[in-house]
Amino acid sequence: MTTTTVASGRPAGKRSRRSTTPTNLTKASGLGLGVAMLWFSLLVLIPLCAVVITAAEGGWSNFWTTITNEQTFSAIRLTVTTAALVTLINVFMGTLIAWVLVRDRFPGKAALEVLIDIPFALPTIVAGLVLLSLYGTDSPLGIDVANQRSSVFLAFLFVTLPFVVRMVQPVLEELEKDVEDAAASLGASKFTTFRRIILPSLAPAIAAGAALSFARGVSEYGSLVLLSGNLPFQTEVVSVRILGSVENNNLAGAASVATVLLVISLAVIVTLDIIQRKVASRG
Amino acid sequence: MSIEVKGVSKRFGDFVALDDVNVSIPSGQLTALLGPSGGGKSTLLRIIAGLESADAGSIVIEGVESTNLPAQKRNVGFVFQHYAAFKHMSVAKNVAFGLEIRKRPKADVARRVEELLELVHLSQFAHRLPAQLSGGQRQRMALARALAVEPTVLLLDEPFGALDAKVRKELRDWLRRLHDEVHVTTVFVTHDQEEALEVSDEIVVINEGRVEQIGTPDQLYDEPANEFVMGFLGEVTVLDNVRLRPHDIEVMVAPGDPLSTPGTVKRLLRVGFEVRITVATAQGDVTVLLTRTNVRQLGLEVGQQVWLAPAAGAHTAPVPVAG
Repeated sequence: MTTTTVASGRPAGKRSRRSTTPTNLTKASGLGLGVAMLWFSLLVLIPLCAVVITAAEGGWSNFWTTITNEQTFSAIRLTVTTAALVTLINVFMGTLIAWVLVRDRFPGKAALEVLIDIPFALPTIVAGLVLLSLYGTDSPLGIDVANQRSSVFLAFLFVTLPFVVRMVQPVLEELEKDVEDAAASLGASKFTTFRRIILPSLAPAIAAGAALSFARGVSEYGSLVLLSGNLPFQTEVVSVRILGSVENNNLAGAASVATVLLVISLAVIVTLDIIQRKVASRG
Repeated sequence: MSIEVKGVSKRFGDFVALDDVNVSIPSGQLTALLGPSGGGKSTLLRIIAGLESADAGSIVIEGVESTNLPAQKRNVGFVFQHYAAFKHMSVAKNVAFGLEIRKRPKADVARRVEELLELVHLSQFAHRLPAQLSGGQRQRMALARALAVEPTVLLLDEPFGALDAKVRKELRDWLRRLHDEVHVTTVFVTHDQEEALEVSDEIVVINEGRVEQIGTPDQLYDEPANEFVMGFLGEVTVLDNVRLRPHDIEVMVAPGDPLSTPGTVKRLLRVGFEVRITVATAQGDVTVLLTRTNVRQLGLEVGQQVWLAPAAGAHTAPVPVAG
């Protein structure tokens, strides 16, 4: 009696447990998933954990003193606010540039197509040199932003330009012209069509571009290090500050700042995703 | 007259899409713009809708001079070949779009959407996304969306072109019945002569940017104005120097009629209930279309001697002189 209940009960229990976590893994795809997870862990998860652990090794008080250090805090504030502002600008300008590239025909379009990628393709230190020679003390344009906060802003703008453009462009190309015609024949103005039909389709791409742009801005080093002068409390950004800590053999301090950056970036990515979902489902 | 098209011309670069087109489309009817691909029929429809502008000429819709009116102000319903669904909106939201733009009260919108979904048999799919519908269902949704704004005219651009044969036929019958219910002036573009003959009250045949003939399906089929119309609306074969339809030929197995043409059965091809017969005559091959029953009654076989003559009441046209 008892044995039968156990025997019949077990497989039933197993089945119900299996059905709660739906998977469609075959042997081959299971192996694929395993390799992908291993790769991801080695390259991303383990190093990230290591940073957090190194930060924790110094203890809570050490962590707190490091990040509330006035010079560090000032660097974090400058980096994050500049990256956020630059990202906001990119959302508008990037979408506009993508629009022009996809919808308009003009002489030199092919050249512009290629030029957009230059900030991408250029080694950042080369970008730094370019910016220094254009906007440094001997600026041929008469614009000298060397050692000023605007130099950080300028460098961020330069290196993050392609992200939103390149994310939005293919989505915009895929949009059917018919859909806009349909909206027009139903009486929608150009603006209404953009807001209710086009923008929801572009939102995921814009959000992805914005996330990349923000992350790149926060981590930027090479392109601004020459122009900004790295003046503490003024033009020093987080990456420079972290490098300073490492050079002073304060690994725990460097990791503490890195952890803060990690949390901020994660928060920004999640926020952008939420906004994107809201916009995409509006209509 | 509901839609008056006067002297409309349109070029795309060197390509002449429409060349001085004049058409009057009557109110309350279902009119087909029929012609081969690239003949200008879609361009004409888009010009009527205001989605394209004409280089010359004028468009009057229900007495309103519309030539320079933007698409938004023309109050036409437009249905596209590839549905043009608003992908991020539910079926109900798609249908409601035009009404929401017009800022109708919410309760009215909800009621009207419900009615329309009922009309196109999509009530149970109101909350689905277009991607979750079949092609035929998506096109019915597009139709409901276009009808929602109570358009003066309904324009359909190859509405069944992307659907498979069976759904096409169903939707075609359904469009005819819907039109008998709703009575909105409807113009649809098609390159399928069978579709045009079956569904429409009137057909406008357009080829190479010009109107070839306007008339009822019967007029066009029985009294084609020219060689092109005759050829485009149905199959044509040549018997004894006249052009006629393959099903308008009588087949005899014994000589008798002095005006009949002798020949030999070269090939019998059965397609469903029809049999296509190729008969070799002194002037060349003639195609004859008979029903399977006729072929059995006559006992036709390959190699058999037969005599062909135009059937009584057949429309015939002289073969145009070459060159």
